[in-house]
Amino acid sequence: MYNILVVDDDKEIVKAIEIYLKREGYNVEKAYDGLEAIKKLEEKEMHLVILDIMMPNQDGIATLEKIRTERAIPVILLSAKSEDYDKISGLELGADDYITKPFNPLELVARVNSNVRRYVKLGSMQNNDKENKNGKIFKSGELILNDETKKVTVDEKEIKLTATEYNILKFLLKNKGKVYSISEIYENVWNEDSIAAENIIAVHIRHIREKIEINPKEPKYLKVIWGIGYKIENIN
Amino acid sequence: MEKIRNSNLLKLLCYILIPIIVASFILSIIYVNLKGDYNNLGIKKEEYLQSEDFADQYISDIIRNVYRIGQGYTTIENNGFYDKIDEHIYYDRTYYNNNVTASLKFVIINNNTNDIYTNLKSNDYNEIIKEFNKKEIYWNYENGNIDTNIEKINKDNIKYMDLPINGLDTIENFNVYTYLDKSSFTYSNTFEIRNILFDTFNKNPNLADVLIPVDVILLAIIASYLIWSIGHSKNSKEITLNSIDKVPYELWMIVCTIIFSCSIMIAESILLYTDISINLVLSTLALGYIGAYISLAIIGVTTIKRLKAKQFFKSFLIYQICKKIKDIITNKAEKVLDKSDSQKKIIIGYIAFIFISSILGVTFFTGISFLLLIGLWILVLYKLLEYNKKLNQIKYALREIYNGNNDVNLNTEELKGTLKELATYVNDVSNGFTNAVKESLKSERLKTELITNVSHDIKTPLTSIINYVDLIKREDIQDEKIKEYIKVLDQKSQRLKKLIDDLVEASKASSGNVKLNIEEINLDELLKQVIGEFEDKLDEKNLIVELKLPRENVKIKADNRYIYRIIENLFSNISKYSMENTRVYIDLIDTKENIILEIKNVSKEKLNISSDELMQRFVRGDKSRFTEGSGLGLSIAESLTKLQNIKFNIEIDGDLFKAILRWDK
Repeated sequence: MYNILVVDDDKEIVKAIEIYLKREGYNVEKAYDGLEAIKKLEEKEMHLVILDIMMPNQDGIATLEKIRTERAIPVILLSAKSEDYDKISGLELGADDYITKPFNPLELVARVNSNVRRYVKLGSMQNNDKENKNGKIFKSGELILNDETKKVTVDEKEIKLTATEYNILKFLLKNKGKVYSISEIYENVWNEDSIAAENIIAVHIRHIREKIEINPKEPKYLKVIWGIGYKIENIN
Repeated sequence: MEKIRNSNLLKLLCYILIPIIVASFILSIIYVNLKGDYNNLGIKKEEYLQSEDFADQYISDIIRNVYRIGQGYTTIENNGFYDKIDEHIYYDRTYYNNNVTASLKFVIINNNTNDIYTNLKSNDYNEIIKEFNKKEIYWNYENGNIDTNIEKINKDNIKYMDLPINGLDTIENFNVYTYLDKSSFTYSNTFEIRNILFDTFNKNPNLADVLIPVDVILLAIIASYLIWSIGHSKNSKEITLNSIDKVPYELWMIVCTIIFSCSIMIAESILLYTDISINLVLSTLALGYIGAYISLAIIGVTTIKRLKAKQFFKSFLIYQICKKIKDIITNKAEKVLDKSDSQKKIIIGYIAFIFISSILGVTFFTGISFLLLIGLWILVLYKLLEYNKKLNQIKYALREIYNGNNDVNLNTEELKGTLKELATYVNDVSNGFTNAVKESLKSERLKTELITNVSHDIKTPLTSIINYVDLIKREDIQDEKIKEYIKVLDQKSQRLKKLIDDLVEASKASSGNVKLNIEEINLDELLKQVIGEFEDKLDEKNLIVELKLPRENVKIKADNRYIYRIIENLFSNISKYSMENTRVYIDLIDTKENIILEIKNVSKEKLNISSDELMQRFVRGDKSRFTEGSGLGLSIAESLTKLQNIKFNIEIDGDLFKAILRWDK
């Protein structure tokens, strides 16, 4: 049973989130402003905090700063502000994730799962490294591709990919952080020349994204750089 | 009074009366004068022949003729008055206007030479002179003796006459035989007319004395009336000018002078003719008089009218010409003169330049003047070029402002006069623009902030709506009706979410409140990526994409996220509004100047809307609000293209929808 603290001044939203998370088997604690949140954190050990930014008394940003001085627990910011600037500044302050209102409940749950898992399993990371003796395991964050077993997992969930998709993902993951254009991907992944195939690489990549990303429109791993190419984000 | 003033009949009567009254006045005056001074002239032919005047003329003519003969003026050689008929006879071919002279027949014999001078034709002059003393009027002078029937110049009375030249001594050496050819003798027309005049007036001797004052009074009255009434008519209260009064005054002066002169000349010359019937003479005189009167009347009436209408001087051609010339000069002057100080300076400077260069030019031959003149020319050229350069600087500054660069600051310290003022104004305008742009940016930003803040406030309750609708959906609901209702709620809340996001984006894009991160990107790569993104949506409607690329790596400079948003919006529209089972043409064209991206698709709905309208916010081709989409897509795309200096056009041709993006190279 993991404890999750949901902080928002809108009681209905807190209630709704509580319902979703309880279904997933989490124990939910509620707070309606920043000060209350800090109090709750001191009272009980939390595994994740969902924090609204705009709140009375003490807003989400100030609360986040306070949390970060003492704790390393994952914090998901929740805000009506959807601008990139807000997201980036939130993430820079130490938030682990950022969800804009109005959110898709499934996405919220998926992100909570992902962050909790990562936080709880942090200690087992070294085990993974040990397993990767042959250099056949490629990973970025919670995205893991095992070339021996041909298995791809995200947040420990196995992802079913076609052979082409698997090859593309393997190539990008192997060279994570680097940007490849469609033709570069084509040249590196396909061995024989097949012009027709090149045009559908973009389609394959969208499919991969839809399979591995919680929100394919805001991908965490497989990023699209428009007019330049694609890359797998390098996440520890 | 008005009636009298406006009566044309009365005026006509006046015009007719005037010549009659004037004529009677003139004739009266002539009569009175002639009666007093030349009483003897006013006599009949027979009486005239008895008069001293006749005798005086008769004897004077004889003496003058003889004198001329005696002086030898009357030879053929010096073009005299006589033709030589034979050795001793000279025939008079002289024509005289003088009536006495013309009718005087003579034979003059020089006693010393026996030369005969005569105006008669005969073979034997000794014979015909014997007939002379039988004539009705004759005068002979033979060997110093006078034989005549003219009483006033007979031998007793002749000494009382005031004779010309040397009197009778002149004819001392001549024998003179003369008579008056009464049949050819006529009075001049003047005499005839005088006679008629006298005959008329003598019937009533006091008539002239009465007529003169009466005429004067009548004339005064008529003239006053005319002066008062001319120009007034029933139709108008103003002075009415007719076509005669619109002709330039000088023209009438010339025409009337000519008519007047001709009339007088005709009248004068008719008086000189002798052999014309007196009736013809009188009618000619009357005609001349009427001609003169009409000419004077025309000029007089039009003069009065013009004076009364205050048009007198204006009606002069010379006035009109002068006025035209003045107008032209004034007009030209107005075009260049503005009474400004700077203009005064230019004029003074120009005069000084002309003056100095003239002096230097006149004394050009001295070396110093030559050098000074060259120096002056160079100085003037330098100053003109300097002025022009400064003017151009101000022009360029203005052009900068026109091109949207308001950060213009001219250095006014180096400038003087008008240029300084001009530069100051340009600076002020620039500052004004800068402030206006700042203000407008500020207000745009505030607007965007307002929209963003409001949208945040909407989003919070919307979150609850979406979440609780979702929670209801998860309940096991059996009632189909409720399921249907929830579906509607779900759709509409999702649409509301999309609308709010688009609204914020549109507001930001149109206010330019977007941070751009411009980098080089491949347009062909982007198109492939976007097609990949939309592949299943396009497949759903069986839309076939025909992508035509000129080559790989068609590079443009853009912010990749925003260029994607533009293309994404266009593709989103294609997937929403295209007719099913059609082709979508995507052509990337690489020309010398531009890179052009054309996206063409066939609309499902009839596009009865202009392309301008389409780009406005919340407008959709189908004009309905019940399909997906906010209607902001094209508006956002347009704002984003503007931000990135992309030319964005939409063309509609029937159902063909064409979006064109153009980058300048």
